[in-house]
Amino acid sequence: MSSAAPSRWTGDAMIRRVRRRYAAERWFKLLGLGAVGLSVLFLAFLLVTIAAKGIGGIDWALLTGSDSVDPARAGVWGALEGSFLTIFVTMALAFPVGVLAAVYLEEFAPQNRWTDAIEVSINNLAAVPSIIFGLLGLAVFLNVMNLPRSAPLVGGLTLALMTMPVIVIAGRNAIKTVPPSIRDAALGVGASKMQVTFHHVLPLSLPGILTGTIIGMARALGETAPLLMIGMRAFIAAPPGGITQPATVLPVQIFLWSDEVDRGFVEKTSAAIIVLLLFMLAMNGLAIYLRNRFERRW
Amino acid sequence: MTSEDTIAAPRPRPIQDEAQLPPVKDPKMSADGVSVFYGDKQALKDISIKIYDDRVTAFIGPSGCGKSTFLRCLNRMNDTIASARVTGRIELDGQDIYGPAMDVVQLRARVGMVFQKPNPFPKSIFENVAYGPRIHGLSTSKAELEAIVERSLKRAGLWDEVKDRLSESGTALSGGQQQRLCIARAIAVDPEVILMDEPCSALDPIATAKIEELIHELRGRYAIAIVTHNMQQAARVSQRTAFFHLGELVEYGKTSEIFTNPRQQRTTDYITGRYG
Repeated sequence: MSSAAPSRWTGDAMIRRVRRRYAAERWFKLLGLGAVGLSVLFLAFLLVTIAAKGIGGIDWALLTGSDSVDPARAGVWGALEGSFLTIFVTMALAFPVGVLAAVYLEEFAPQNRWTDAIEVSINNLAAVPSIIFGLLGLAVFLNVMNLPRSAPLVGGLTLALMTMPVIVIAGRNAIKTVPPSIRDAALGVGASKMQVTFHHVLPLSLPGILTGTIIGMARALGETAPLLMIGMRAFIAAPPGGITQPATVLPVQIFLWSDEVDRGFVEKTSAAIIVLLLFMLAMNGLAIYLRNRFERRW
Repeated sequence: MTSEDTIAAPRPRPIQDEAQLPPVKDPKMSADGVSVFYGDKQALKDISIKIYDDRVTAFIGPSGCGKSTFLRCLNRMNDTIASARVTGRIELDGQDIYGPAMDVVQLRARVGMVFQKPNPFPKSIFENVAYGPRIHGLSTSKAELEAIVERSLKRAGLWDEVKDRLSESGTALSGGQQQRLCIARAIAVDPEVILMDEPCSALDPIATAKIEELIHELRGRYAIAIVTHNMQQAARVSQRTAFFHLGELVEYGKTSEIFTNPRQQRTTDYITGRYG
């Protein structure tokens, strides 16, 4: 046995080398911890300041009332109902259209230059700033189609345009995770392409599609800018009676109240933010639950 | 304890003396001058093979020789690959399977397939087997469907192991049981031909022995074509062997002759382990 090998592994140079490696690891951990700490700090700061200002404002009157010029009587119910109606319209449109588009692109469309171009367009569409969608909604739904201004119908349509590409992308990714062996198995017993898709691929990718959809919906729920463009910033003192009635939504209500000069609205703004955050938390929680509940390993 | 835990698995005895088998009928499937292209690349060159009832036909050859590609032509599974193009003629009972009169969905029900990796649906054992009969409307009542499932699982030699847990997931079974479940799923639609693409390559020797035994039992009922990279397996289970190399069919004939008296030097080299 040669004596060179053991000394190479126990010599000073090698020991220094090993120490440097551990030092690098410690530094990386520290840096990572700092990054996490910073983001958590911001979140904590937001929650604490909002809670401090707004927790006292949460009462029955806030949850059941509608907008009012008197801060003592103003509530979020009207805006909440507007949000529900808007999100309902968005969901009813974006989900089926998005899922069908994802299924078609993934399972049926030929792979050629056209589908490549469509794929790039959809990815870009998902990244278009929401204010642009607002302008589009204003131009098409209000000016061309003459739909009622400030209505959840138009708000929902606009947000559906914005959410659909997100659902298409999430849907395609979910469909891609279904292994080809399952398609082979179904084709092998004589299933048609439609049967393979609707009996196997779609049910197996549905949890992933739902997770993506809920996250897209949560984003739409928090959207303000496009709704300002189509007139959902009006002062609405009564909860909307339907999707064609004038309405506002929660984030826009927050925006409007934050602009008020009356000091009484400061607390109202923070209280409305808490309601919105809880709403978002519930939706994201649902998405995580669905993902964990139905996730399948292959 | 499943019987897979016991060592005394039956080893199928090769039946190469064809006098023990019913006489050869007209070929069930016949391929004539079949070539396959993936884009510009030719994967198979001018293959002509016949597959008979009451006989097992084995396709052997080194990896990438085209044996699986050829198998997948026989039930048009290559249709799912956009760049694949098949020329030549393949007949099932004298009918061109690539012709306009042949419906591909019906073809795949008549020519069933078992894949390399066991691929049960992530559904119950019952649903796995019932799926084929259900989509083809082969049963009119629940009792009839249950009878089909039971018969298929019995033929696949799995019934005794799963009869008390038909509602459990098919993916919870062991690898060998999963593969027999896939065989049960294939025979549930009552096919005429069963194609097996290296059905034992993901299985341990005992599970492999069970599948081989099963192939012997199924032989009288279905025409069987099996791809294998295991020459001993080909010798054990088949009566006809086709040796593929680099996309060509080097030699095709009775298994007994291929293994004892090959005519081509390449065949000799392969079966004596010189390459592969």
